[in-house]
Amino acid sequence: MAGLVLTGIGKSFGPVEVLRGIDLDVADGEFVVFVGPSGCGKSTLLRVIAGLEEVTSGTIRIDGQDVTTERAAERGLAMVFQSYALYPHMSVYRNIAFALENMRLPREEIEARVRRAATMLRLTEYLDRKPGALSGGQRQRVAIGRAVVRDPKIFLFDEPLSNLDAELRVATRKELASLHAEIGGTMIYVTHDQVEAMTLANRIVVLNKGRIEQVGTPLELYNRPANLFVAGFIGSPRMNFIRGQVGAGGKLVTPDGKVSLPLPPGTVATGEVTLGIRPEHVAPCSAAEADARIAVELVEQLGSESYLYGTLADGTALTLRSPLEDPARRGEDVPVRFDPARLHLFDAAGLAIRP
Amino acid sequence: MSETGSPPRAFPRDSLASRLIQAVAGLADRPMAWIQRAVGGRGMAYVFLAPNILFFGLFVFLPIGINMAMSLTGGTNLFLSERPFIGGDHYRSLMQCGSYLDPASCREDHFWKGVSNTLKFTIVQMVAMVGTALVTALVLNRKIRGRGFFRAVYFFPVLLSPVVVALIWKWILQRDGLLNGAITLAGGEKILFFVEPGWAMFWAVFVSVWAHMGFYTLILLAGLQAIPADLYEAAEMDGTKPMRVLTRITLPLLWPNLVVVLVLVLIKAVQTFDEVFVLTGGGPGTATLMVVQYIYETAFANQVQNFGLAAAASMMLGTLLFALTMLQLWIARRKAA
Ligand SMILES: Nc1ncnc2c1ncn2[C@@H]1O[C@H](COP(=O)(O)OP(=O)(O)OP(=O)(O)O)[C@@H](O)[C@H]1O
Ligand SMILES: [Mg+2]
Repeated sequence: MAGLVLTGIGKSFGPVEVLRGIDLDVADGEFVVFVGPSGCGKSTLLRVIAGLEEVTSGTIRIDGQDVTTERAAERGLAMVFQSYALYPHMSVYRNIAFALENMRLPREEIEARVRRAATMLRLTEYLDRKPGALSGGQRQRVAIGRAVVRDPKIFLFDEPLSNLDAELRVATRKELASLHAEIGGTMIYVTHDQVEAMTLANRIVVLNKGRIEQVGTPLELYNRPANLFVAGFIGSPRMNFIRGQVGAGGKLVTPDGKVSLPLPPGTVATGEVTLGIRPEHVAPCSAAEADARIAVELVEQLGSESYLYGTLADGTALTLRSPLEDPARRGEDVPVRFDPARLHLFDAAGLAIRP
Repeated sequence: MSETGSPPRAFPRDSLASRLIQAVAGLADRPMAWIQRAVGGRGMAYVFLAPNILFFGLFVFLPIGINMAMSLTGGTNLFLSERPFIGGDHYRSLMQCGSYLDPASCREDHFWKGVSNTLKFTIVQMVAMVGTALVTALVLNRKIRGRGFFRAVYFFPVLLSPVVVALIWKWILQRDGLLNGAITLAGGEKILFFVEPGWAMFWAVFVSVWAHMGFYTLILLAGLQAIPADLYEAAEMDGTKPMRVLTRITLPLLWPNLVVVLVLVLIKAVQTFDEVFVLTGGGPGTATLMVVQYIYETAFANQVQNFGLAAAASMMLGTLLFALTMLQLWIARRKAA
């Protein structure tokens, strides 16, 4: 177990700058998740930490020691690959034992460690099989077992669940969470599934175009997104954005003047702004208390809740979530209320404006 | 996020290409239908196989039969009808030896010299060929500058005719050749490569390795590239030393290709004739005489053309090659399973 400090990490492939100025502190025992859209550099950052890619600039410290120029083999980290990367010609036992054999541990020690990991991951009865004769979920567990036995300084995961079906993904997610609770190692986990990120992480790192947009606990990111990108990226369905000017009376007025909405209480702003509100914080209401009206275009009924997709009077798309089974019909004009405590405001550059 | 669906078609159903194929195939429809009515659905398979079997029979099975008959008959006449039946006499005289370890003690001493030379050549050449091909493939599989260029360079000799290869090297190695020129320039003594038995055999092996290595390198390179790169990354994360990566990851995963190469090299080495014959003529003396050269000379080059004896020797060689080919097929099948 160990902490990790990244300072000014930059990485280019030829002329393509993939990572820029990444600064990050990961505390000992922390579970940190990297999220971001496809191609934003999550895997590259993980591979840089692993030592599988060299940095172009910046330093990497593990446990206070500069490892920037050390090879992956020397860093003492373990990685679970998206493809699992199990050795196809070795049994499950040998796959898990391989790294320990490399360390030249005594045979009994290896055997004991492999058995312990196998028990924890329910792999004992498969130890003699080759990876080719395992299901996806079992392979996944072997890959995790291979990392766990080594007692590494840091665990690195690159989208380890993306090859599993939805049900197995949820089950394995829970297992990972309890694994972290049990062995308490420092874990860095890449995903583009925000549910995985929200449920697993102590802290989430949101990456975009090779930069860190925001670092924070899942709830911090959800409740206090630092900018438009994070606000739009975290949460599903995504946050509604309404662009406009701050007009007279401290209200947001859309360019065509048809819609006027309240700003978050206590905020001071002028000029171009964007108002953000999550679908779960907009609710149908009586005409008297309405902030706006939406023309419903589509209703999705999920049983436990429904989503209404519609537009405001100026044409801005707006989604809202309702706990009702049958809140409205297509074509209806529904009065809605925005929860004032849940409004977000962003300036012209996209940065959050706080009270 | 998983995608399901049928695999993509080669041609969209109504594309021009698919309609064209249908039109052409349509021409054969009616005659084929007639034949099928006559022989039945199962018989059709044999109808399709027939043309190939015919040519195969004409140029492979028939000659094997004639060869067998030749080996069991005597005399110097080329026509079977004029040749008296002598049973296994040729085989007996081929096998007549004082000691099988000493070719000189045999009645057909050249045959046994050829066998012993071919054996030596095969063993040394297999080790040298597979060794160099493996090392070359491992190097070419790395991300080195000019990789494509080197791959082409190593494959180039494979495209040359064996006779051309032998002539090039003869030109280099002869008494006043390129190599001796370089040696004298460096102040050394000329070496008569084709006069000293050891040197002649060395160059026979060297030249055949030079000429064919590219082919086997290509097979091994294909095998190396089929090994997923993430396995090497996993091994790196597992703290594996480079030598151990080679012995525990690369070689085990390359093993099926390596076996194929070993057997192919073996079969080709046993058949060796043209390169060595042009290069050394089997000499000095019989130092590089191979079995196939013995067969060729016995049948066609000697004063007395002994077709029967040559046929018997080639039957024996053929049996060995057949066994080796079966071995190769067995391995290939086991690999596929
Ligand atoms: N070896 C490479 N050479 C050149 N460009 C690369 C290389 N590896 C990655 N890239 C580029 O770097 C960018 C980031 O890639 P990376 O794999 O880190 O994305 P990611 O965030 O993991 O995306 P995903 O969610 O799709 O896995 C991409 O634009 C990619 O094309
Ligand atoms: Mg990735």
